[in-house]
Amino acid sequence: MTQDEGGTAAVTTIVMLPLLLIVLAGVLELGAVRAVAYRAGAAADLATIVAVNDQDQTELARTGTLRLAADAADTARDYFARNLSATAPALAVSVTEIAASADIASFPSAPSLDQRTGVRYDRPTVRLIASVPVRTPGFAMLFMPTVTMITIRAASSAR
Amino acid sequence: MTRWLRDGHGMATLETTLMIVVLIPLLFAILEFGWLTQRWLAQDGVTLQAARYAGELGGDRPELRAYVQEQLRLVGIEPSRVVVQVEPAHAAWREPIRVSLQTDERIAVPFLFATTVTVRSTAVARGELNR
Repeated sequence: MTQDEGGTAAVTTIVMLPLLLIVLAGVLELGAVRAVAYRAGAAADLATIVAVNDQDQTELARTGTLRLAADAADTARDYFARNLSATAPALAVSVTEIAASADIASFPSAPSLDQRTGVRYDRPTVRLIASVPVRTPGFAMLFMPTVTMITIRAASSAR
Repeated sequence: MTRWLRDGHGMATLETTLMIVVLIPLLFAILEFGWLTQRWLAQDGVTLQAARYAGELGGDRPELRAYVQEQLRLVGIEPSRVVVQVEPAHAAWREPIRVSLQTDERIAVPFLFATTVTVRSTAVARGELNR
């Protein structure tokens, strides 16, 4: 190796190291967003399951058919906020705001058609769609937004 | 020293040393944090299922503890290292029931640090048992 080549190697290292660190920061941030998305999705799943597990007891006793409780959508919203709390530090707004703005629809009797998604439900269902803003400061190095919006969808049917 | 560097061998040794000092901690950091994230997600999945089951049982019951232990083993976590909390111990119908799992995980990055990280997972379900 000559002295000139040595200098080239040093320059290459100086140029490549910041690039490597920027890519590393981007990869770590992407991993963090995926983890938050997973957790938020799980929170939405649990919220809709809790909501559909609460049946209209009077209707069940009278007719033997499954029918969701009148407050199923409110229950899903409440439990979505409760379960989302674990990821609160990673979110750009409060869990209460996210839960309040979530589109939660209850389909107490079946069959029914979800106008927003076009899905037909054959059983009483609770459907939740929420936009979750996640803090992504690491993306600033890549000239990307420091808040990344992820959309969560969940639906549970009674059985 | 100057001659040693000029003939190439010294420079290669120097570059290799620098690369080892930078790349080895970087590699171990990726492995350790990836492993930690995998453990956290696995524990989180168990917590969610445990909360659902706690809601069905109406509280902290031996069946729930056995279920959590079995699920932790299935995802490769030693149950004896996990602290399980269920609040309240007896949940009334429609009452929130919270299940929390906590584990202390040791991570070590060569040349940088070694520390213990507490991994916490919490899920809230609702009491479904109408006593």
